[in-house]
Amino acid sequence: MPWYLYLALKQLFPTGRRFPFFTAISVLGVALGVAVLVISTSVMGGFGHKIREMTVDTQGDVQVRGDGLIETPAEVQAQLAKIPGVIATTPFAEGPVAIMHAQKPQFPALQGIDVTRVSQVIPLARYVHPAGALAELDDDSIILGSQLALALGARVGSKVEVASPLAYEKFKRDEIFLPRELRVVGYFEFGHQALDTSVALVTLRAMQDLYGLGGGVHGLNVKLAPGLDPDAMTARINAALPPAARLHARSWLDLNQDFLFVLQFERNIMFFLLMFIVVVAAFSVTSSLLISVVRKTREIGLLGALGGKPRQVAACFCFQGFFIGVAGTAVGLALGFGVLHVRDDIVEIFTKLTQSEAAMLRFYQFRHLPSYTDPNYLVAIVIGTIGISTLAGLLPAWRAAKLKPVEALRSE
Amino acid sequence: MSNAILSSRALAKSYLSGDRCIEVLRGVDLEVAAGESVSIRGESGSGKSTLLNLLSGLDTADRGALAWADGPALADRRAEFLGMVFQAFYLIPEIDAFQNVLMAARILRAPGAAERARAKELLARVGLAERATHLPAQLSGGERQRVAVARALMNSPKLLLADEPTGNLDEHTGDAVIALLLDLCRETGTALVLVTHNVAHAQKTNRQLFLREGKLSHG
Repeated sequence: MPWYLYLALKQLFPTGRRFPFFTAISVLGVALGVAVLVISTSVMGGFGHKIREMTVDTQGDVQVRGDGLIETPAEVQAQLAKIPGVIATTPFAEGPVAIMHAQKPQFPALQGIDVTRVSQVIPLARYVHPAGALAELDDDSIILGSQLALALGARVGSKVEVASPLAYEKFKRDEIFLPRELRVVGYFEFGHQALDTSVALVTLRAMQDLYGLGGGVHGLNVKLAPGLDPDAMTARINAALPPAARLHARSWLDLNQDFLFVLQFERNIMFFLLMFIVVVAAFSVTSSLLISVVRKTREIGLLGALGGKPRQVAACFCFQGFFIGVAGTAVGLALGFGVLHVRDDIVEIFTKLTQSEAAMLRFYQFRHLPSYTDPNYLVAIVIGTIGISTLAGLLPAWRAAKLKPVEALRSE
Repeated sequence: MSNAILSSRALAKSYLSGDRCIEVLRGVDLEVAAGESVSIRGESGSGKSTLLNLLSGLDTADRGALAWADGPALADRRAEFLGMVFQAFYLIPEIDAFQNVLMAARILRAPGAAERARAKELLARVGLAERATHLPAQLSGGERQRVAVARALMNSPKLLLADEPTGNLDEHTGDAVIALLLDLCRETGTALVLVTHNVAHAQKTNRQLFLREGKLSHG
C-alpha cells in the first residue's frame, strides 16, 4: 500500500487509540446525508412501486379499448391471444352507478368483470374477503370496496339497490327501470383509499344489463408474460389489431403517465435538494481537514524531509476525504435501511402522538408506508457522496502540498 | 578530500527581515568524509539549522555549490542518501514506533520482509524492541529520539544530519542518545554532521567546527 494511502487510513482510524472526534463527526455528517437520501428516495420509490403494483393488479399490464363499445369481445380476445407475449385477457364494462343501502346513497364506479377469466389477468382474489367470495359472485350479487361498504353500512349478506344512468334514459321515454337489488357477498381492500371508497364489482352480465350494453364491453385487460416491456408490447398489440376495429391498446405506464411523471419529477427534485445535505457535510470535512493540515504542519514537513513528494502529500489528504466518504456512505446506508426496516413503527408512533392516523390514510392512501429502493438511485447516492467527499479533500490537499518542508519543520 | 560524501563550496544564504537583509551564511566550505563525524557549534541564531537545511537539500542556497557523494544534491536522492534527526523528534503520533521507523522505507517503496526485519533490528539496536508496538505518546522523550534515530538509519544512508538532537532531553538521556548515535554511525560507516550546543557532545566527534559570522572555523 502506498505510504500516503496508509497514512490517510491511520490518521482517520488510528490503531490502539480512541476514535478521533473529527473523523467521527465528519463520518456522521456524511452518513446522515446518505441516510436521508436513501430513506426519502426509497419511500418515494415505494409510492411509485405501490402504484404500479396496484395499477397492474387492477388493470392488467395493457388495456385495450375501442372508440365506442367493443361489440364482439370474444373475437378481439382471440386476436390478442395470437400475439406472442400475451398470456391472458379478460373483458370488462364500467360506469358510475348509484348504490343505496339503509337510506344511505353512494355513487361509486361499478366494474363488470368476467368471473371465470379475471383471475388469469388480475389477482383480485388476493384482495377480496372473505376468501372465496369472488367465486360466489353471480349476476345477483356484488362485492363492495371496504370503505364503500362502511359508508353504506352494508355487510356480507346485506342487500343493496343499484341504479344506472340507463334509468334516466328510460325515464325520458316514460319507461320505468327499477333499481336492481344485489346481495353483498364480500368486500375488497386494496389498501388504496380511492379504490376502496369508490369502486364496486359485479359480474360482466349484470353490468351489461344495468347499462344496456347487450354483449358489448368497454374494454379488455391484458396480462403479459413476466419481464416484457409494457410499452413495447403495447406497440406490438396495436400493430396486430385490425385498423378497421378502431381498437387502441395502452400500457399501464401510458395510462398513468401524468401521475408517474409527477412522482418521478418529485423524486428527482427531492434527490437533488437532499444531495445538498451531503454537500454541507462535505464542507465540514473540508474544514476538519484544513484544521488537520494546520495541526500537522510539522509532520507534513517531516514527510517532505523523508522524501515524500508534494503530490503524494496532497493524495494523503485527498484520500482522507475519500475514506470519510466511503465510511459515511456505509454507515449512512446501514442507518437508512435500518430506519426503512422500522418505518411503519415510526409512522405509527408519529401518527399516534400527533393523532393524525385518519389524515394520513386520507391523504396518503396507503395503510403502510411503502418502500422501494431503486438500484440506480442507490448507485447515484454512493458515487455522488464518495465523489463529493473526495472533492472536499482537495482544498486541504492543495494547502498541504504547497507547504515547503523547510518552512513546515520550522513552524511553531 | 577524495572520499568526501558531502561537499559544499562558498554556500551563502540570506533572509529578508522587514526591509533588512540578514546574511546568515557567508560562504560555507565543508567537506565530510565517509564514516566521519563532524560537530558544528555556534551561538543561537548563528545559522546552524539553516546550514543543515542547505546541506540536506531541504532549502536552496543563494550562492555556492553543494554535492552529495558523487552526484548533485537533488530532492529525489535525499531519502536514500541521508537521514535526519531533529530536536523535536517529529514522530507520527497515529502509528507505533515500528511503523514510524518503517515509514522512512515506505516512502521509497512498499516495504517487504527485508525492510520489516531491518526496522525490527534497528529498534532492537536502539534498545526499544519491547516498545515496538507503542505509540509515540506512550514513549519518553529519550525513547522517542531513539525511534527517530532508528528511522533516520532505516534506508542505510551515507550521511546523517542531526539538528540539536538532545535539545529536548535531560543531560543523562542526551548523553545516552549521542553515544548511541555515534556508535551506530561508527558501526554502519555512516557519516554524521551533528549540530549541538553541548561542548562535551561535540568533543566526541572526529572534527569540531564552529559557525561564526556566517562562516565555519575549527572550534
